[in-house]
Amino acid sequence: MAVDSPPRNALAGLRQVPIQELVLPVVIVALLVAGVIIKPDVFPTSDNLLNVLTQASITGIIAIGMTFVIATGGIDLSVGSVLAAASIAGGLLADNGTWMFMLGAVGFALLLGAINGLAITWGRVVPFIATLAMLTIARGLALWMSDKTPISLSELDILQRVGSGRVLGVPVPAIVFVLVTIAGWVLLNRTTFGRHTIAVGGNRSAARIAGIRSNRVVFAVYVLTGLCVGISAILLSGRLASASPVVGNLVELDAIAAVVIGGTALAGGKATVTGTFFGVITFALIFNLLNLLNMPSEIQGIVKGVLILAAVALQRRD
Amino acid sequence: MRLSRILVLWVAIAALALTACTNEASDGGGDSAPEGTSAPQAGGVTGRPVKVAFSAPGADHGWLKAITDNARKAAEDLDVDLVLSEGTNDSASQVSQVETLISQKPDVLVILPHEGGPLTPIAQQAMQAGIPVVNVDREFSTPAAFRTWIGGDNYGIGKSAADFIANELNCQGNVVEIQGVAGISVTEQRTKGFTDGIKRCNGGIKIVASQPADFLPDKGLQVMETMLQGQKDIKAVYTHDDDMAMGAVQAIRNANRQDEMFITGAGGSKDAMNLISEGDLYRATFLYNPSMSASAISLAKLIAERKGLTELVEPEVPSRIELPATTVTKENVASVQNLAY
Repeated sequence: MAVDSPPRNALAGLRQVPIQELVLPVVIVALLVAGVIIKPDVFPTSDNLLNVLTQASITGIIAIGMTFVIATGGIDLSVGSVLAAASIAGGLLADNGTWMFMLGAVGFALLLGAINGLAITWGRVVPFIATLAMLTIARGLALWMSDKTPISLSELDILQRVGSGRVLGVPVPAIVFVLVTIAGWVLLNRTTFGRHTIAVGGNRSAARIAGIRSNRVVFAVYVLTGLCVGISAILLSGRLASASPVVGNLVELDAIAAVVIGGTALAGGKATVTGTFFGVITFALIFNLLNLLNMPSEIQGIVKGVLILAAVALQRRD
Repeated sequence: MRLSRILVLWVAIAALALTACTNEASDGGGDSAPEGTSAPQAGGVTGRPVKVAFSAPGADHGWLKAITDNARKAAEDLDVDLVLSEGTNDSASQVSQVETLISQKPDVLVILPHEGGPLTPIAQQAMQAGIPVVNVDREFSTPAAFRTWIGGDNYGIGKSAADFIANELNCQGNVVEIQGVAGISVTEQRTKGFTDGIKRCNGGIKIVASQPADFLPDKGLQVMETMLQGQKDIKAVYTHDDDMAMGAVQAIRNANRQDEMFITGAGGSKDAMNLISEGDLYRATFLYNPSMSASAISLAKLIAERKGLTELVEPEVPSRIELPATTVTKENVASVQNLAY
């Protein structure tokens, strides 16, 4: 079962559903029930649940891109730094209005993603190293371009409405996150590009024999991740009403963790966008619950780590 | 073992060279002390610029950037020969950085350690080898590791914030706290000062939630958002840092609850001071001023020249200088705006 396509007949499908894909929804339901019991007055309100979705959106959108990268057997460690660099690149153009900010942020993230892709395909540097290099380069760029000072974006009304506004009561970042997830699902499960992504991750030489230009696919997934990071940079800067060179610290690890507990195989060849979505939501719910309970942050780290171990151990079973 | 021997050897060589240098300099020296400073004692550096080596963690946020910038500027103004290295964010690499600095034979070493404890042995070695060490901000674990320490008052920040908030709220109301990095002494002191400070209200002021946000604006935003969900009645927000507080301010504005509460910061950034002068939501910050690195350079110069502080009777630099956590509000913000970073 390479992708989460619907089963041909219900019974066979049920048997084929990996235990993994049932674990996360169960965990999420358990967290929701726990929240309702412990904080009945605050937790189950639509306000709070939308807040969870909004907080998940920045890392979540990046994690959707990361799903494609990991599906090819790659990894992108640079996303957190690129998030900061893209925000700053946009911030430098902010005098020309929100649209130039957006263009700058997305353009710069795409550029850095393309450099990742080129280093890995054309330069034949393994993804771990290529993106590790980009992690330090992009953070350096962010600090250097901003002269280590945050750029205020409080003049950009449209940007702030994108970051903090609501449409029909739903925060814009949450809407964008859901839309990106749907787009990611379609791209992975309903297009040739999605099939090729899985094929390249599963067995590259077989993919090549089948006529897939694997270098093009690999290049494209890093550019795609760049696009996701660019979108996140817009939302984050809008929410903060400023572009800061220190944001996005360790976002790469949160994104990778969400992808992995979602059920996408780190070795590639098997990916699920819905799993990633659930993974992101799981972490966001844990953050929300432990915060509402005013638990010390170290407990949060322990809970998160145990969950990653348990989820991946279960993944090994199937 | 071998490594440490090599190290000691290097330090010894450095010290020898230094003494040679200093002697040479004082032989050829003999110029008079500038007006207003106490007379130099025997053995001080004269006749050439004092050479100061400066080591600080990577300047990756506002406060640390200001620390490095201020040190540079002070060195220029005071005609000090400054060897500056920055860019490490772990203690082990800062130790090797300091080793490299020692090998360049400075007259004085100025260190703002990433963590006080792990940098203590190397500082102590430098001291034993005759290079005076000026310790900035985070303190070494033994006074034997520094000639003088200069830093802000973290406990005082918490205490002053508690006093300010208690006065504003007449000792009555719910407060949430957004801390810095969990588990470091800066955070612990700022929390302890605050909890001690509100005791005088006999429970009238309650800390209903307290979470770390690592001094980062994006984490400040997230933590504040969740606190706003969990707490329906907040009168004041006590934060450990101005940059981080900017994220919290945004969360409060997004939730449209700025009329219900006010926020305080710490440090003294430009953005914070601007908001304070606008009034209302951002009501105060407490100085933890990065100008301390500039003072450290000038202390280093005085130490090398064996001079004291002019206004004091004693002929030597004091061994500890603690800067007050001045409360900055709308009333006095204009008078301290020049210190903002």
